[in-house]
This record gives sequence, C-alpha cells and structure tokens, in this order.
Amino acid sequence: MYPMKISSRTVGYVLGIVFGAFCCSVAPAQEVDSSQVGRFQLAESFMRAAQYQRAISLLEGLYDDSPETHVFYERLREAYESVKRYDAAIALVDKKINQETSPTIYVADKARLQFLKGDEATARLTWQSAINTDPSSSSVYLLVYRSLMQVRLFDFSIEILEKGREYLGNNSLFQTDLAQLYNLTSQHDKATIEYLDLLSVNQNQLNYVRSQMGPFLTTPESLEKSITVVQAGVATEPLNRSYREFLAWLLVEDDQFRPALDVYRAIDRLEREEGKMLFAFAGVASDGGAYDVALEAYDEVLRRYPLGPAAPDALRGLGLMQEKWAETLGEAVFDERGQRLPRNHFDEALDTYQRFLIDYPQHPMFPDVLRRIGLLHQDVFYDYTSAYTVLTEVIGRYPQTIVADQAAYDLGRLAVMENRLEDARLEFSRLLTRLRTGDLADLSRYELAMLHFYKGEFDTAQGFTEAMQENTSTDVANDAISMKVMLIENRGPDSLDVPLKSFSRTKLLSRQRQWDTALHQLDDLLAAFGSHPLADDISFDRAELLAKTAEPEKAIAAYLELSLFFPGSFLADRSLFGAATIQYKVLGDNTAAIATFERILKEYPGSLLITATREQIRRLRGDELL
Amino acid sequence: MMRTVLILFLGVVLTSRVEAQDVLIPMDNSQSDHLKAYGVTFWALERRMDVDWLLNYRGGSFLVTKTPELEAELRVRGVSYLALSGSQTASLISTVESDASNTSVVRLEQPPRIAVYAPQQTLPWDDAVLLALSYAEVPYEMIYDDDVLDGALEDFDWVHLHHEDFTGQYGKFFNYRSTPWYIEQQRQAEIAARARGFRKVSELKLRVVEIIKQYVGGGGFLFAMCSGADSFDIALAAHATDIVPEEYDGDPIDPDALSQLDFAQTFAFADFRPIFNAREYEHSDIDSGPPPPQLRNPAVDYFTLFEFSAKYDQVPTMLTQSHVATIKGFIGQTTNFVKKYVKPNVVILAEAPGRGEVRYLNGTFGEGTFTFYGGHDPEDYQHFVGDEPTDLSLHKHSPGYRLILNNILFPAAKKKNQKT
Repeated sequence: MYPMKISSRTVGYVLGIVFGAFCCSVAPAQEVDSSQVGRFQLAESFMRAAQYQRAISLLEGLYDDSPETHVFYERLREAYESVKRYDAAIALVDKKINQETSPTIYVADKARLQFLKGDEATARLTWQSAINTDPSSSSVYLLVYRSLMQVRLFDFSIEILEKGREYLGNNSLFQTDLAQLYNLTSQHDKATIEYLDLLSVNQNQLNYVRSQMGPFLTTPESLEKSITVVQAGVATEPLNRSYREFLAWLLVEDDQFRPALDVYRAIDRLEREEGKMLFAFAGVASDGGAYDVALEAYDEVLRRYPLGPAAPDALRGLGLMQEKWAETLGEAVFDERGQRLPRNHFDEALDTYQRFLIDYPQHPMFPDVLRRIGLLHQDVFYDYTSAYTVLTEVIGRYPQTIVADQAAYDLGRLAVMENRLEDARLEFSRLLTRLRTGDLADLSRYELAMLHFYKGEFDTAQGFTEAMQENTSTDVANDAISMKVMLIENRGPDSLDVPLKSFSRTKLLSRQRQWDTALHQLDDLLAAFGSHPLADDISFDRAELLAKTAEPEKAIAAYLELSLFFPGSFLADRSLFGAATIQYKVLGDNTAAIATFERILKEYPGSLLITATREQIRRLRGDELL
Repeated sequence: MMRTVLILFLGVVLTSRVEAQDVLIPMDNSQSDHLKAYGVTFWALERRMDVDWLLNYRGGSFLVTKTPELEAELRVRGVSYLALSGSQTASLISTVESDASNTSVVRLEQPPRIAVYAPQQTLPWDDAVLLALSYAEVPYEMIYDDDVLDGALEDFDWVHLHHEDFTGQYGKFFNYRSTPWYIEQQRQAEIAARARGFRKVSELKLRVVEIIKQYVGGGGFLFAMCSGADSFDIALAAHATDIVPEEYDGDPIDPDALSQLDFAQTFAFADFRPIFNAREYEHSDIDSGPPPPQLRNPAVDYFTLFEFSAKYDQVPTMLTQSHVATIKGFIGQTTNFVKKYVKPNVVILAEAPGRGEVRYLNGTFGEGTFTFYGGHDPEDYQHFVGDEPTDLSLHKHSPGYRLILNNILFPAAKKKNQKT
C-alpha cells in the first residue's frame, strides 16, 4: 500500500479553505487576506517545530493587524504559554476582555494563566470575578469549573459549583460533575448523595451510577460512607427501587450479606418479584460463602412463593448449597467406627432433593436431582439399596441422556462396593463401548483396570493403564500411571504373583469399607511376605487404615515403623508426614509433630513433600507465613 | 613452669579448634535455594553470629558458625549447607585467602536496616526488590515522600527505589490516566505536594531526590531499579528547569530546558536528553529501550557480569557474586543504560554484550554508594501493568534476583555510623 501523492499546492488550497471556513465560523465579520493566511501557516509550522519565538514574532504581527481574528489570538496565547511568558499571555487576554461584551470565558482563562504563573491568590480572585460577571447563569459556573479542572484544583471547583447551586437555588444543578469531584477528593458520602438525587429523577441511571461509583469504592471506609448515605436515602424514599438496589449492591460489595438480604427481601415484596430477587441473591450469598444467609433467602422464596417461578430452582439451589456447606465443614454421616452422627447438612440436602421430587415431578432438572439423591445414598449415607433403586430409575426413565450415562457409571461403582464385580464390569464396559471418548469413558476405563487388578488379572489391568496414560490431559491418567508402576514393580516372586494378588484383595476390601478384614489380611500379608517389594505398600496401607479406624497411636506407630524398616521406600517420607499430621491434628502434640516433620527435612531432603513439610513446621512454631 | 603453661595453652587452643565447627552455605549450582540463602545469612547476622562472605568461592558462599538453631533454620528454609570441622574451615579460609586465586573473605558484621521507598497505595505492578526481600524473609520498612522529608532516612543503612518516577510525571502512564489507580496516584501525589508547600509534584519529588542524595553523601547505600534509577538522575539534572509536559503538571516544559540541565548534580549519567513527549513511555534517552526485535526474546537476550579482583575491588566483587556469569535479560520502563551517558567515574558491573548498553552499575558519592540496575522483574521478561506478581518459589536460583540481594548484604560488610 502506498500513500496518495498530494501536491503542496493542493495542500495550500485545502488549508486555505479550511482556514477560511474556520475564520468564518468563528467571526463572520473578520477579513483575512492571503498574506495573513501564509504567515499564519508559517507560524503554525514554527509552533509544530517548537520554534516558539519565531512563531510569536509572526503571530504578534498577525494579531496587531487583525485583533478581532480569534484564531490569531488563540495561537498567540498558546505560544506565550509554551514559553511560559505568562505576563504576555495575561496582557493579551486582558486586551481580549476589553474587546468582548461577554468576557467570562477570557476572565476564567486569565485566572488560569495567573495560577500557572504562580500567583494563586490573584488567580482565585480572578476566577471569582469571572463568576461575578454573571452569577445568575449556570453556564458561568461551568466555565469557571472547567478552567479550574485544567489546573486540577478539585477543592476549589467544588466550592464554585456548590456556590452556584446555592446562588441559583437549584440543588439539582451540576450533579454528575460534583459527584465526580467528590469521588476524586474521597468524599464518597457526598458523591453518593449526588447520585441518589440523580436516581430520584431517573431510576434507569442505576447502572451508570454503579459504574461511576465502583472504581472509587476500593476501601471498607469508602463503602461504609456510601452505605450510610444510601440507607438514609432508602428511609426517605422507601418506594424508590433503584435506591434499594443501590444499597443492596453496596452491601454485597462490603460482604454484608445479612443486611443485603433484608434489602433484597424488601425489594422482592415491594416489586412483587415473587422470589426472583431473593433467589438471585441467594446464589450470590452462597458463592460468597455466606451459607446461613443464603439458606434464609432460599427458605423465604420457598415459604412465601411456593408457586412462584423461582421456587423449583430455589429448592434445587438449596440442596446444592447444603451439599457444598457440608463439604466446606468436612461433615460426614458416620464416624470412624461406623456410628451414625447427628443430622447435618447432608441430611438436609437429601431431604431438600426429595422434596423437590415430590413438588416438581415435571421439572427439567428432575433427572439431575434424582441422580444427586442416588449419589448421596451411595457415597455419603452408604445406603446401597436406595442408591441402586434411584440410579436404576434415572437410567430407566431418562435413557440416552447425559444424566443416564452418569448414573450408569455410578451404578458400576456401586456394584464394586457391593462386591458384584461382574455387574460392575458389564456396566463400565457398556458405557465405554457407547461413549468411547470423554471424561466418563476414561473414568470407566480406569474402573475396568481396577476390576482386573482386584481379580488378579494384572496383564489386562496393565493393558488398560497403558491405553490411558497416553491421554495425559485427563485427571485419571495419573492414577493409571501409579497403578502401572505398582504392577511392574511388585509382581513375582512366583509366576502366580501371590503377594500382589493378596494385596489387590485388601485394596478391594478397603474400597468396600471392610476395614477390619482388610487390616487383618494386611497383617497376615506382612507376616508372610515381609521381605517382598510390596512390604512397604502393605505397611503404608495398614497405617492408613489404622488412621481411618480411629486408632491414632497405632497409626503413628505403623507410620514410624515403615520409615524405620523401609527407609529407602518411596513411601517413607509420606509415612513420616502422615505420622506428624496425626500428631498435631488428632493428638495436638505440636512438639512431636515438629520433630517428625524435621526428620523429613533431614532424612529425605529430596522429598516431594518438602515444601509442605517446611510450611507445616513454620505454621506449628507460629511463624508468620507469607 | 613456662613449658607447662605453653602445653596447657596449646591444648586449649587445639581443643577449641576441634570443637569449633562451621557451616558453609554454598552459592554455586549445588545450592537448593539461592535466594533464601541470603535470608538465612541475614537471619544469622541479626543474631550476631559470625558470618564470612567468601567472595568468588563457589558462587559467593557464606561461612557461618554452626549452631543447632542455624541448622534447623537452614533446613526449614530449604537452604543446602555443609557442616565443616575446624580444620576444614581453616583449610578453606587458607584456600580462599591464598594469592593464587581470585577469592577473598569479607566479614559481615551487622545486618543493615533496610528501607523500601514505595507508596502505601497498591499499584498494578510488582516491585522486584519487595518480592526478593519478602521471599528471602529479610525484614524491611516501607517509606515514602513524607518519611523522607521528615528525616526518616537517618534510621536506615540501605534504601531501595524501584519503579518510581522522580520527574513528577506519574510514570508517564498516559494511556492509563483514566484508570482509578492512576487517578488516585496522581491525587495523592498532588495532595502530598500541596501539603508540603510545593505547587507541583515534580518540585516535591526533586526535594525528595535531593534529600536522598544527601543521605548517600553522608554514607548511605542507595539501590535503584528500573525507572527509579534514571528518573533519579533526570530529576537532579533538571533541578533548575521544567521538563514536565503540560499533560502532567498543567503547564508546558521550559523551552530552554535542555540548556538548563545541570549534569554536575547527577550520580551516574550525563549529557542525556529528557523526552518531552507526554505520550511516549520513556523519560530520557538514558534508557536504550527494549532490545532490537531480533534479540527481543528471552532465549537470546542476556547480559554478562564483569569479574573484578576479589582482593582489591571488593565492592564490585560483592555486588556481582553469582553462580553464573551470563544472566538472562528482562525488560522494564528502563531496561539498559546507554553507555555513552554513563559518567567515567562509575563502575560498570554488567552490560549487554556488543550493544553499548549497561545493565548494572555502581558508583560512590561522598561517603556512600549508589547502585543502579536496569529492567523491571528479572524473572518476568516483560512485566505488564496488571500482571500477577512473580512467584519466586519457582525461581529459587534466579541470578537476576541474586544481584538485588547482593546489595542488601553489601552494607553489612562495612561497619560505620551514618553521617546523615
């Protein structure tokens, strides 16, 4: 691409026309001859080349020749400013003031020049005198305000605009300008008042107000100031929806979810939203970790608007939130000895989902809620019969759907837990044949590998893991690689792989939560194959099971034994870490825990757990962590 | 009788030599965390332990008296070390002090009190020195204009300046002038200037620069990176004129600004030209700017450290201790200093080879010293506004960051009172 060729003559014509048009538009009565055009163009080029003195010589001549030509005045003033000849610039502006019948803009400009000259006191008086030229005109205040903004005198700008309001007796003047100035000077309460006034006239400006206020509300103090003002506004105009929404937004920004709930509750009632506002807020509160407030919001939607459009989603949302809440708190339904614990959020979630099924049997999310019930039965309540019934219903009623596939996978896992390994194999195989690719297919492939491992079919299991490790982007690929390594390292010594087969059975028993049986078998295995390469794996699993079955002292002893008997094992550092974790978490013995953690630093300096170990030592000894 | 006393004396001395054990913190490629090693050394100095810096020996290693607490701290911080017996230490010292090698021992005596000159306001870029000090767990205090004007520098041995603009042009972030952080930065600076009776921010900054200069003259240590380095000298050179464009201070630059620059006032640079274009993200032609396009690539952009005599030029040797001689480059608002503008009395510590560009320099002024280091973040080739701070746990061996940390230990090698 090449630039278009334009001759200098053409440029001259164009400039002449533009210049002529400009002059006409500014002052129609002015006459500018061609020599003046040429001199002016030359002065402009001097200005661009920063040769101000030469430009000034030309512009002074032009101005003397034609003082009424505005553009000559304007450029000459600029040139004086460029070389900081403020006195000359002020004298020029004075001349202009004397010529003009309404000189306010020039008086304000004179004040600006006086400020730049360093004479701030005089400048302030001059700005004031600019106001005095016509104090009853709002535009005069705006002229002076813009002049002040050029030199960033925010406080004085505020003073001028406030005086203008007072003089003119109109508090709605200069709203957005003042609000911006108040924000710039950290007077967020005053800015908020201005924006409230704006909203009282036009509620549709709420998004604009939020966008203007948002960037300045960066500290708790600024939010607090704004909240106080808007609360007062809401009290004064309780029916103004935008005020309430503004307040609720500020409260959420300040993480004050409970007061925000009150505000949304009021909006919902006043505006007959039938729970929609409350439902939206409940999601926000839940995401913000304010579960108790979210619970209240969901409850209110369901109690007050059971037939409203938001009710089904609120019920499902409530169930999801209760599950999340339980996970955040680390809740369980049974303790380590298998005793039922008191009702907790998992029970609430189950009840909520069941209520959903009864209340909204035709809802599109019905299958998903049904499957969630199945999962809770299976993985939280260990109620395998109920889980089977529910998951089978999902598959039967909603075939060929994603939810049905997920339920089929869950059914496969359930079959493993119930020791129906052939059923499990069939379930995973069918799913794999149907899906072939994707996360669920990879998970099914891994489960098939595990099934072959449990059965002692190690070659087949290894074949599956090799197929999986090629797709390293999936989460199960790491598990597959670990299994493959274990299979390669621990087979033998005989062709029947007796130790590994026995070990695989203990793995299955552990998965099926038959911990006591698994523990016994691990003890037997250790006695029989104490020198087999699997011995460290067996010891480690044994220690883990002891920890799970509420035997902390025995678990610590088992972990420490492993590091003693198998110091070269890749599980030795993990054992020490496990022992130290129980020491401080369960037994509360920080000193012993630090000593155990320090053993990792001394004995296994290359451990992958080294960073976590250092962090734990420092946490336990009370260091300030970055 | 005399013989008995002599035997007893020798016995005591020998016994103490056998019992006295030390810890060598190697700083060559065997070190597991170079940056934390500086932190542990600082920690040892704080506890009045004997610390020797073995210049040019295994990457500038440290020798510290062995205590169980020190060993525990080294392990917890992940710093590798070797326990030495008394005889091994003696042999090591003898090797390092021998005339045959360019190595020497410097005793570190007291931990320097460190100040980082930075605003309290959070700005959307990180400060490499703050990152290095935080990661190495070296204590520091933050100071800013008001503290400097109130004489706070007297309380510190070492002052760091990073991405600061001492010319009063707010970093020349013209494109960001509508963002809240820029508005707030400008407003705070204007409030501070007016509160101190200055009409312009540039006047306030000039006063700050002059006080820091006095501090260095009185024996202080100054370390400046990125734009903190060149804008410091630009402000000093422009003390009698106005080089700030109208967009930043409301009035135009002095048309005679160039002729009024006073290079006699500056620390490191002379004969440069400030850049008067408000929209150009550059303060002067001191900065060579990013490397040419063919070299603007982290794989090929690097700079090299000069080697100095450890026995006769200990200051530059301390500042250039590293386990590598070639360090990967990194870009900043100020990246490299153009060599022709560097004053002849300034020591060049590192340069970009074949480009006439200096990366790292050191000089003296009065009783103190200054060190200027180009670039913004040694482990983020091109750090943009709003980028996440660099995670130094992923760069434990960073030679670029090591150069920063050499500077904080360097004042410990010199025991003297501040004269400010």
